[in-house]
Amino acid sequence: MNTQRVLIVLGLTGGLCCAATAPAVETAKVGEIQRPIITLTPEERAAADQFEAKLKDYIADHRKAEAALPHLSKDSTPQEIDKNQRALGTQLAAERAGAKQGDFFTPPMEGLVRRTLQAVLAGPDAKTIKASIMDENPGVPNLKINDRYPDNIPLSTMPPQVLEPLPKLDEEMEYRFLGKHLVLLDTHAHLVVDFTGNVLP
Amino acid sequence: MRSRQLLPIGFLAALLALACPGGTVQPTSGPAEVLAKGTQEAPIPLPNAKGSLKFVVLGDFGVADRRQYSLGAEMSRFHDTFPFDTVVLVGDNLYGAERPQDFKTKFEDPYKPLLDKNVKFMGALGNHDAREQRFYKLFNMDGKLYYSFKAPSESVRFFMLDSTYPVPDQIAWLEKELADSKEDWKIACFHHPIYSSGGRHGSDLKLRETLEPLFIKYNVSVAFTGHDHFYERIKPQHGIVYYVVGSGGQLAIGDIAKGSPLTAKGFDTDNVFLAVEIQGDKMYFNAISTPGTVIDSGIIERRKPEPS
Repeated sequence: MNTQRVLIVLGLTGGLCCAATAPAVETAKVGEIQRPIITLTPEERAAADQFEAKLKDYIADHRKAEAALPHLSKDSTPQEIDKNQRALGTQLAAERAGAKQGDFFTPPMEGLVRRTLQAVLAGPDAKTIKASIMDENPGVPNLKINDRYPDNIPLSTMPPQVLEPLPKLDEEMEYRFLGKHLVLLDTHAHLVVDFTGNVLP
Repeated sequence: MRSRQLLPIGFLAALLALACPGGTVQPTSGPAEVLAKGTQEAPIPLPNAKGSLKFVVLGDFGVADRRQYSLGAEMSRFHDTFPFDTVVLVGDNLYGAERPQDFKTKFEDPYKPLLDKNVKFMGALGNHDAREQRFYKLFNMDGKLYYSFKAPSESVRFFMLDSTYPVPDQIAWLEKELADSKEDWKIACFHHPIYSSGGRHGSDLKLRETLEPLFIKYNVSVAFTGHDHFYERIKPQHGIVYYVVGSGGQLAIGDIAKGSPLTAKGFDTDNVFLAVEIQGDKMYFNAISTPGTVIDSGIIERRKPEPS
């Protein structure tokens, strides 16, 4: 039984960040939960701000495209859900035809994600967390921007220890792992918006 | 090993439970009291009383394999003698692809006999579920990621949560819903267990930090969860009884930590659904495996507000 848990307070969204000139990790205990605290370098802070600004723009485009489609009712059939999802994906992919890997996960942002995951997976729960992530997560060859999330691969488990320190996403978006890549997924469209390199230790 | 038994009169069931060799009366350890528990050899029957609330809990099922279909067939057979209205889902409704044909093979086909009998399935999302499932008519989620509903009989309200993303808006909503609820029974249903003896996932401590204070404050009596692929009934925690019912499809055989101090009853060698009946202040439960064997049973009394 795992009784300890890691929380990295990045302050990317929660305002808990302490600006620092060098990366640092420390540990604070809250009850039985162990929380290493990461402070951001100015470069990481800027990368996180840029990531969130791009997300904001993307969400605006997403909502505009979605508003132009027929609304799904609460009594939708699987066919209606699928049709809507694919139509939205096609529309968004066309609008961002020039998108490329790293638009969101810029090198400093990817570095921050990697450092975050390293810290999460350095705690006492590391083995369990990694097993959760890799559970039903075979990865995918030739992952491409604007591809549909592969239909034959389950949506991977995102342990709360991993989700919590990452920048919070609007309801339209999710993080998922495909293999060791962290994918930024448009969940309404099942569209791969961006993905990192191998960031999982 | 005996199969389940059904008795028409509730109080007889309680009496039988207290008298049967496996039944034990436990001291009160918090407001939700486990009045009695059965054994596989001497299970406590469900009263099957007229007018009571009858429902089934199912989790982690949508794999379209033989195990899922076999358990679905047993649920249908069980419905012939115990006519439940509702199946409460605790997430991971569809694994892998979610194309229209997957809704059919992973949900509509295995539970067709129940759907044909107008049994209502109430969805909650697990970590493998796409959010669009909330629009699917047969999951009755009203287009919402989290929602509550009043049971068709008895004074019971279910709170269906999205535990993958317990965002502040949802938690604020939950607190208001719990505070406003006038029902005697408040039952929380969500995917990630905040108490579990699973080696693969185990207790979600962060979620526990968020949810448990609300459950305690607002008199939640029972919580149904999934995620870990087995059946486990947890010893009452702060007066609340937690179940893990992630046993509807793929199994994690041998995953329950041996000797876990949390476990009241654990079972990880076959698929299981949980049949529940609420009558007044008592909740009767039978956990039933694919061959129709009752592997866990008992009676719980609901939590009541502390006298002011």
